[in-house]
Amino acid sequence: MLTTEINDLLTQTGPGTPMGAVFRQYWIPALLAEELSENDCPPVRVKLLSERLIAFRDSDGRYGLMDEFCAHRGVSLWFGRNEESGLRCAYHGWKYDVTGQCIEIPSEPAERESSLCAKIKLQSYPLVKIGEVLWTYLGDPADTPPLPEWEFARVPADQTFTSKRWQECNWLQALEGGIDSSHVSWLHSGGLRTDPLFRGAQGNKYNLADRKVFFEVAESDGGLLIGARRNAEEGHYYWRITPWVMPAFTMIPPRGDHPVHGHFWIPIDDENCWTYSYDYHPVRPLSEAELTAMRDGHGVHNEYVPGTFRPLQNKDNDYLMDRAAQRRGDTYSGIKGIAMQDASLQESMGPIVDRAKERLVSTDSGIIMARRKLWRAAEALRDEGIKPPGIDPEHHRVRSVAVVLPKAAPFADSCREALMVRPGQRHASV
Amino acid sequence: MQRQPTLLSSCARAATAAEARFRISPPEFALRSSRVIALDERAAELARSLAGRPWRGGRFLEFGELRPAAGELADAVLLGADGTPTLLSAELDGADLAVMLATPGARAEAASAVGDACAARWITSVGLVVGAPGEAQDVVAALRPNAMVLVSLRSSQDVAEILSALRI
Repeated sequence: MLTTEINDLLTQTGPGTPMGAVFRQYWIPALLAEELSENDCPPVRVKLLSERLIAFRDSDGRYGLMDEFCAHRGVSLWFGRNEESGLRCAYHGWKYDVTGQCIEIPSEPAERESSLCAKIKLQSYPLVKIGEVLWTYLGDPADTPPLPEWEFARVPADQTFTSKRWQECNWLQALEGGIDSSHVSWLHSGGLRTDPLFRGAQGNKYNLADRKVFFEVAESDGGLLIGARRNAEEGHYYWRITPWVMPAFTMIPPRGDHPVHGHFWIPIDDENCWTYSYDYHPVRPLSEAELTAMRDGHGVHNEYVPGTFRPLQNKDNDYLMDRAAQRRGDTYSGIKGIAMQDASLQESMGPIVDRAKERLVSTDSGIIMARRKLWRAAEALRDEGIKPPGIDPEHHRVRSVAVVLPKAAPFADSCREALMVRPGQRHASV
Repeated sequence: MQRQPTLLSSCARAATAAEARFRISPPEFALRSSRVIALDERAAELARSLAGRPWRGGRFLEFGELRPAAGELADAVLLGADGTPTLLSAELDGADLAVMLATPGARAEAASAVGDACAARWITSVGLVVGAPGEAQDVVAALRPNAMVLVSLRSSQDVAEILSALRI
């Protein structure tokens, strides 16, 4: 449980809030690169950390992310014309470059225009393409951290796939689902047998044979390592180790030679977040069958309302609840697909769950620890200016692990190398 | 597939902030009966420093010494926060949760005695190990077979929060 004050501290990420300040220390996903697919393409409205922004790609291929509204009369620049190296407001023709600098005010006399333009600059943020994601940093420009080094974004393009979906709840309850290993044996039990991106792995047999999971949580430099162990062959445990890197990155332990997947949970505002879901293989291209499965919404991905990032299964249609499939055991909750099984339950908690009313048990220790680390980081940044963990690119070079170890072997130490990115080497997975 | 006659927008309405206001306040469930057992001297100091805080009925104890097994299980003498001796078996009878608090140097047989006693009674056992990663290896290994959930902490400052979250 949390007090209402601490719950507010952790869930509010707008400008001027302690947790908002934490998020503003990191490069975070802002859009998929495909959303700005070519020069002079239509601009995209982006809301991040409760700030309304507009993203565009100019005639020279430069990316811009700035205040959505024209400095003149507050019109949305989404209606604007993206042309000739700038975004022009549709109302009176004011034009801005990718830095937010006003570069044309056509109604002003030519003699005065440049001096007036020089005084008008919209708030803007950097926007950088790494992998298939456009990343931004909403903090102090003087304190810009090194660019992110997440492996899924750094492998060759044919080895990685990223999708995103709108999740209609606060970022923290979505993240908490990502570090709550104890729900997998229940909510997702059907998927282990049927999902093309999961099935067939040796590890699935351990998962399904031993539902009595033991958990181990250890602090890491960037956040936490959450280990779940089950019995394997005589004298051995099957370990699944999930890294959480602050504030919002998780990587799910792999299954066999399937691609590895995970998430970023990025606040849109306090009642909505973007769930970025990635899948990649460290050493080989994704097969056509794998890519098709991902595009079709299998694994950690989902289907969409056409033309949007809203899941096809959503609040408005009761997530296409299928009670017959639930009774048959095809799905545990009656909801199709791992992504929407999670999202439906997390959204059902309400936009911001009241954590003063919850009853945590010992298997929630990963969640308890993650909250504590976030809370401590927010206070340390606010009160002492101490930067939170997870900024250093070294903290990004993590991998999840699924291995069988002798019972006496400590998971974090036995897997020390496997938990780090090793370029050109396969991930540790059974 | 035949669609069930779900009410369109049911979830859309039910999951709004406005509807959240109508959630019934859950009753205060019966208090969990918890024991926090320090397995070594440094852990005992930590436990003593925490024991005076307002908890929800949890008792803080220190592992004293093993008692010869009367049956299949060894028993042990525990010391209360005020130094009063008590028996592990007596403390665990009726308990729902046992938290083992340990630092590097904690004895494996202490963890084993508490873990076995918990397992025999179907009591959830949690291990909280406080220590630098390089120093805590042995105690983590000792607690692993004896704790259903094991948490390694680099410093003691989070122990109170974890116990509080578990409503000790």
